[in-house]
Parts: sequence; structure tokens; C-alpha cells
Amino acid sequence: MRRVGFLRATWIVAWKDLQLEWRTFDVLSSSVVFSVVVLLVFQFAMGGGPGRQLAAEALVPGVLWLAIGFSSVGGIARSMDAERRGDTLAGLFRAPIDRAAIYTGKLIGNAVRLALLELILVPLAVVFFNAAPGQAWWELVFVLALCSFGLCALGTLFSAIVSRVGRGEALLSTLLLPAASPLLLAGVTMTGALFRGETLASVGRWLGLATGFGLLYFFVALATFEFVLEE
Amino acid sequence: MNRSARPLGGLLLVSTLVAMPFALWSALLYAPTEQTMGAVQRIFYFHVPAAVVAYLAVAILLGSSIVYLYKRDLAWDDLSKAATEVCLFFCTLVLITGPIWAKPAWGTWWTWEARLISTLVLEILLVAALMVRRYADNRDLGARLAAILGITIAADVYVVHKAVEWWRGMHPQVFRAGEKESLEPKMRLALLVCMLATTLLCMLLIWLRYRTARIETRTEGLRLRDRDEGDDR
Repeated sequence: MRRVGFLRATWIVAWKDLQLEWRTFDVLSSSVVFSVVVLLVFQFAMGGGPGRQLAAEALVPGVLWLAIGFSSVGGIARSMDAERRGDTLAGLFRAPIDRAAIYTGKLIGNAVRLALLELILVPLAVVFFNAAPGQAWWELVFVLALCSFGLCALGTLFSAIVSRVGRGEALLSTLLLPAASPLLLAGVTMTGALFRGETLASVGRWLGLATGFGLLYFFVALATFEFVLEE
Repeated sequence: MNRSARPLGGLLLVSTLVAMPFALWSALLYAPTEQTMGAVQRIFYFHVPAAVVAYLAVAILLGSSIVYLYKRDLAWDDLSKAATEVCLFFCTLVLITGPIWAKPAWGTWWTWEARLISTLVLEILLVAALMVRRYADNRDLGARLAAILGITIAADVYVVHKAVEWWRGMHPQVFRAGEKESLEPKMRLALLVCMLATTLLCMLLIWLRYRTARIETRTEGLRLRDRDEGDDR
């Protein structure tokens, strides 16, 4: 059989995942509804009521990253769980492609799904909480992309580990959320700065941290992913 | 476990048994009582060494995880299992002694500060790693996944610490760079003795756990071989 190149293999795996998502809307539908519920509950818990009103720009970054964090756990876990249920991971492993390409492909699939979720979630949060990052929309997109990449880089590796031992979301959230706490802190701090009308330069080191975190785990996962899939 | 390693264990056991009463004496009697915090400050002589050896155990976990992935010798997995459990033990010790000290010193049991959060995160991740190991269907899978988690956890602890440090800071800086004389000489000596004793204890615990893990691995291997032979008949 002809061996497929790394980029092409990555693309095929990612395309397969996205096609599956397009046909079923399995992950997106549930995570969108879930994150809307998070916005709602958070508003009940922290937002409303006379005398205990929190300013929107203090509330929104936290709510946003809470929703993104939790729904990314659900989404990433489910995408790997689908492979486990169909026992297709073994098939992927036997395919004549680089194992790291399987990881990269799944990572792209997860990242695109998370990006689509954020595309719906962020405008909703802006509407619900009546706060906007001023002129800094592009900066906000950049921050979201950077932190989501790190979250997916680590999450894809962990979800493969968790699915190998047959456990789902509960174990993944125990692993991913504490381990990704630097990323969540970076996300909240940077988004907060944008909503307060400050520049990204004022939170430069968080930018460095989020970039470093994403790259670190991307390469750790590339190096170790084949050990996860091994029979 | 080969016989040549036995004297090492005996040596560790004897030196820990000698060092421990010494450490207790130096922490509780020899060291002077701190002026502002009073007797409660003596927790420091156990809290700080426990934290240091917890990070030492993380280093052992990282090393043995990497070596296991390359060599695939279950002995290295036994070592990383031992390091994980002992690290969890010392982490718990740090998280218990910390608040006892913090309540009188800071007036609060807990504060969201860099070292507290990174220790808590480390504790959660170690528990999760042990869970993954236990849930795995077979030994090799568990060992492999635990090794990957070991590497990730070791890398993560540092990043978490840095991040929360930027986020806020309150923990007392015991050893500032270039300011060696911040601690009273008698206190420093007491801390040094406690540090030595705790390190010995940590090594002893890891060694003991490693030995039992080796025995477990061997019995498991025998049991599997027995079963396979039974199937053949």
C-alpha cells in the first residue's frame, strides 16, 4: 500500500472528523446548548439582582472561559468516544500513515469545532451581558484562537488516553481542566483586558504563556501520541 | 529485586531512623521560637521539606516515565508508580500543614496563591494519573498511559506555578535570591536537618514502594503464565 504523506494524512483525518460532524451535528449541537445554559446559570448566580450587580466587563471573560472550558471537555471527549464505540481507532492505527498525523488531524477537527462553538457563543455573551470589546474584535479572535489551540492540543492527547481506558468526560475533565489552568487564566486575563479597553501589549506575558503552553503540549503530544494508540 | 540492592535499603532505613528523631528535636526544641508567629512557625520545618521532596519525587516520576517509554522495562514503570504515590503522600502533607500554619499566620486557611494552587493541581493530576493506571485493562497499557501522563504532569506543574504567580502572589519567599542571611542561623540549621531527614524518608518510601511493586509485577507475571499454561492443556 502507498504511504501517505504527513500533511495529506492530517488533512484526511481532520476531514473525516469534520464530515462526521457535518452529518450528525453530534458534538456541536450539544455543546452549543450546554454553553448557552452555562451563560444562563452564571447570570442567575452572579449577574442579576439589585445590589449585587457585577460589571459586565468583570463578568463576561469569566463566563466565556467557563463555558468554553467545560464545553470543550464535552466535545473533545465525545469525538474520541465516537472512535472508541466504533472501534475505529484500531483501524486508524493500522492505516499506513504517520501516527502523529492522526493526532494532528484530530487536533484540527477539535479546534475547528471549538472555533465554531465560539463563533456562536461570543456574540451571545455580548448580547446577554451587554458588553463588547470596543474596537478590539480582531484581538479577541486572536486570543480565543490562541487559547483554544492550547486547550485542544492538550485535550486531544488526554482524550485519547481517557478513551483507551474506557472512561469518558468525568476523567477527562479531572485531567484537562486542572492541567490547562494556566491557559484558562491567560484566556480570562487577556479577554478581561480587551473588555476593559486595554491593549494586548499590557498583558504581553500572558500572550507568551498561552503561546508557549500550546506549543509545548503540541510537541509533547506529537512525540507521545503513538504510545497511546499502540496495541 | 536483586540482592545487591538490599544493603542500600538497609542503609536508607537505618539513616532515616537516626535522622528522624534528630529532625524532631531540632525543629521542636533546638530552633528558637519565632517572635511574631510563635510556636506555630515550627510547622515550617516540616512543611517546606515536604514540598521540596514532593518536587523531587516529580523529577523521579519524569525521569522514570521517559526511560520506560524507551526501554519498555516494567521495572521503570514500578519506579514511576512508586514516585507517583510517594509524591501524592507528600503533596497531601503539604496541603494539610500549609493551612494549619496559614490560619494563625495569614488569618485565613487558604488563599489562591501560586504555590498553593500548583500543589493542589499537582495533587489532582497525580490522583487522575493513578486512576488511569488502575482503569487500564492490562499492565502494559496502564504503564504506557501513566508514563505519558507523568511527562505531562511534570511539565505542567512548572507552567501552572508560573501562571498563578503572575496572577497573584502572597506566599512568603523563604529564600530570596542574593539574600542568604534572611533566616536565623539556628533556624537554618534546624531546617537543614529536617530537609535531610525528609529527603531520606522520601527515598526510603520510594524504595520500599518500588520493591513491593516489583514483587507485585512478578506475581502478576507468574499468575498470567500459569493461566496461559492452563489454557494450553
